[in-house]
Amino acid sequence: MRPLIACALALSLFGSQNLSARPALRDYILTGAKPDHLFVIDAAARKVTSDIRVPDANGIVGLVVPSPDGKRAYVLVNRMESISGIDLDTGKQVFRANLSSGDEVVHSFFSVNITPDGRELIVHELPTKRGLNEYHVQEPRFAIFKTDAGLDAKPVRVFPAPRRVHLVLPKADGKSFYALGFQLFEYDLATGKKLGERGIRNWGRPGYSTPDMLAFWPVTEPLDVFVTPVYSTLGTGKDAIAKTSLMKLDLKSGALSYQDFEDTSAVIFSAVASPRNGEVFTVYTQLSKIDTNKGVLVDRVNLPHTFYTINIASDGHEVFVGGTMCDVAFYDPDTLKQRANLKLPGCPDQSISTLRVIRR
Amino acid sequence: MSLSSIDRLRRWRRAMLGCVMLLGAAGWLAAPAMADAPPAADQQTVRTWCAGCHTEDTPGQFQRLSAVRKSPEGWQMTIFRMQHVHNLALPDDARDAIVKFLSDTQGLAPSESAAGRFALERRPNMPDLKLGDDLPDMCGRCHSLARVSLQRRDADTWLRLVHMHVGQFPSLEYQASARDRYWWDIATKQLPAKLGAMFPFDTQAWRGWMNRPHADLGGEWLVHGHSPGKGDFVGTLSVKATGGDNYTAHYSLQSPEGKPIGEIDSLVRVYTGYEWRGSSKVGSVDTHEVLALSEDGRRLTGRWFEAAHTEVGGDVVAERAEGPAAVFMVSPRALKIGTTSEVLIAGRGLNGTVTFGNGTSVKVLKASPTLIRASVKVNDKAAPGPRAVTVGRTSAADMAAVYDKVDRLDVQPAYGIARVGGGHIDPVTAQFEAFGFIESQAGQAPVALGPMNVSWKVEPYNADAVKAQDVKFAGRIQPDGSFVPGPGGPNPERVFGTNNAGDLTVVAGLDQEGKELRGQAHLIVTVQRWNTPPIY
Ligand code: HEC
Ligand code: HEC
Repeated sequence: MRPLIACALALSLFGSQNLSARPALRDYILTGAKPDHLFVIDAAARKVTSDIRVPDANGIVGLVVPSPDGKRAYVLVNRMESISGIDLDTGKQVFRANLSSGDEVVHSFFSVNITPDGRELIVHELPTKRGLNEYHVQEPRFAIFKTDAGLDAKPVRVFPAPRRVHLVLPKADGKSFYALGFQLFEYDLATGKKLGERGIRNWGRPGYSTPDMLAFWPVTEPLDVFVTPVYSTLGTGKDAIAKTSLMKLDLKSGALSYQDFEDTSAVIFSAVASPRNGEVFTVYTQLSKIDTNKGVLVDRVNLPHTFYTINIASDGHEVFVGGTMCDVAFYDPDTLKQRANLKLPGCPDQSISTLRVIRR
Repeated sequence: MSLSSIDRLRRWRRAMLGCVMLLGAAGWLAAPAMADAPPAADQQTVRTWCAGCHTEDTPGQFQRLSAVRKSPEGWQMTIFRMQHVHNLALPDDARDAIVKFLSDTQGLAPSESAAGRFALERRPNMPDLKLGDDLPDMCGRCHSLARVSLQRRDADTWLRLVHMHVGQFPSLEYQASARDRYWWDIATKQLPAKLGAMFPFDTQAWRGWMNRPHADLGGEWLVHGHSPGKGDFVGTLSVKATGGDNYTAHYSLQSPEGKPIGEIDSLVRVYTGYEWRGSSKVGSVDTHEVLALSEDGRRLTGRWFEAAHTEVGGDVVAERAEGPAAVFMVSPRALKIGTTSEVLIAGRGLNGTVTFGNGTSVKVLKASPTLIRASVKVNDKAAPGPRAVTVGRTSAADMAAVYDKVDRLDVQPAYGIARVGGGHIDPVTAQFEAFGFIESQAGQAPVALGPMNVSWKVEPYNADAVKAQDVKFAGRIQPDGSFVPGPGGPNPERVFGTNNAGDLTVVAGLDQEGKELRGQAHLIVTVQRWNTPPIY
């Protein structure tokens, strides 16, 4: 029964806009859930328009990467060993890259992204050779896949990569991409040549400790800006103060900046930059609003439960929180009051999945 | 926000990310009972089941497999991985036989397993081994360093183990206390040599031990012990060999007051000539004993515990029944000045006048060569301090202690962890005990009075615990000092609907002439562990 409904929903998705003469673009939210769900939510209607079952997901739909035209979503499944590309109109799998092959098991730690032209996927791979009686961990690498490669995609280019990369972010000009790990690395997309490396471990902020960051939700919409919390201590010994800062990477200009806004007083998992007034919203068990023009925490409210991920309407008029459990909640960016809460059908666990916004 | 609350936030965040990252980790089955079928194994059994992957390079030398030595539980865990990760279809009897054979031929000498025994004995809330600055974070944050210390291998084989870790758990390098350093570089370039020097494959100790004939444990033994929260016990143990290092054992136990505790039958297999693993039932509860035979073959020491609640158990000592006269235990140990108390003396070959030293008078109520019940009166003039107890010509120092006032209560464990239950996982309780001490003059050690009868309560550990009402939600402490955590899962009554975690101070109170002496410990109530491997 369930797959039939899913298909029906999938077919009707986006149907309405074709009927109108001048289709107004709408925001759709994408999120994954255990064991194989990819949900499409009409944000304004507060409605799940599609519950797509990803083939051979094997446990969890973690990372979600929409294509720039919003027609497809690439999801990391099969315990980080496979990438499945789903056509959001039909709900069908149109792309599949099983990263492991032969005696080599390959994982990607959430480090998958798509180029701005939608033609290539950039994947940071962690390969291990499995011998008869031993494992041999190999050096990591970047693998580039063509998005039109179909259901047995193989990389078209492979380059050496640093260890412990947790996020890949393409630069807006499509010529290079960033990899976030020990440092912020930049690589030429065509040749794999390392173009630069900026400090994260040694971020060059006098008096501050080495920062701690673990960001694996590559949310950069709607501004082509990536923001994430960074934790450190300022000073040493008895006078040490725990600091939460925002790291901001502008994918258009390549500018990297850090901004303090509070002595650590809350756990924050993820953040999103609003198109309005330099505001940034962050989430975990609280929803916070930060004014990055002034570098201050403007407001903070308790949430009914923990949410790992956050995103925002394209025009900034609404904040979305999701991940962790089986609901997505909608918040007023001015008052931080909840406007709506949408329970996903069947209440499947979103866990660490990514909340993404597409415009269709 | 206070630093401690920031620590608390960090801990949560770290715990959260920990769970998030370990999604790919293989679960553990409960440890199988290891003593029900007498196995016989030789190299051929290993060849049959293991050589398909572990190529036999020279006769009896199997790749990888022949380059490590471990405890029986270490072998059990490795073979579990062969079955569940590498899809080895291995019948239980062959598995048990191979664990036995490899523990005997590639095991650990008693001196090599000594430091990490507490992990084999499943002792709860033990401080981990101190093995230098980098190992606690590098290797001791997911499991104990005791697990590491219970293996012997050379540098190249330690390196292969690092490859297994990262290959099997690719999120390892991304977790807290790994991502803050060049984990892979340290683990592959620095640690193998260090571990190889600390815990090498080839040792004098093992060469000496492996060729010694195994002692026959058959015969009669005298048992004494102590179970925290329950008290002391004494009794006898009869052991019969059934072949192939397997035994049947019968314990007959009683409390110091003479109340029967149980007639307990245990199936025992002895590994490596000294590792006693028993499986028994006390009433309807499945229990195990993990004991070690002393090198002279005359004494077994270790711990019994409940199979399903390994945190519940106690210390066990068994001495050969044959042997020179000796006093093993006096219960209770502490005797208050100006009072008369009944005590039990447990020993071997006990015969003659009983004395507890100056200022005491002893009346024997009942006597046998192994148990003497006596009434001991301590005069008002008696001097506080440790006492030797003498029976006839046998004397044992520091078996009892005379006191007027308890100066200090030391609550153990000083730092305890209890876990809420959830799903099919039972809560993990935490047992506390309060040990009394008399502070002595400068330069002298305090006098230990042993476990005291105290009242128990819990208080919030800090301001955050007050605010979160941890005392209300996290659980209850029982009159015997056992903390039973609250139910698992999110609690809608709590802020953020958080689970019943808590940060508590455990307080022991002893009333002394209207004045309360306090002792305290720190208790963290946290979420369940999803798997409990045989060696934590
Ligand atoms: C299907 C192949 C296969 C079979 C059969 C197999 N193993 Fe393994 N074994 C492996 C692989 C692969 C590794 C390396 C990865 C690892 O450690 O899990 C390994 C590693 C080991 C190691 C090294 C682990 C360490 O401590 O570093 C030991 C010891 C071992 N196996 C013992 C055994 C024994 C004993 C048997 C037979 C009961 C057995 N294996 C059967 C595949 C196998
Ligand atoms: C991310 C958590 C983690 C870290 C860090 C870690 N371990 Fe482990 N270790 C494990 C797990 C999980 C297992 C159980 C693997 C299995 O058998 O499935 C294990 C197993 C082991 C074993 C038993 C293996 C066997 O087959 O007998 C040893 C020994 C060990 N680890 C040593 C180390 C050392 C040395 C380090 C540091 C270099 C280390 N561990 C770091 C998680 C960790």
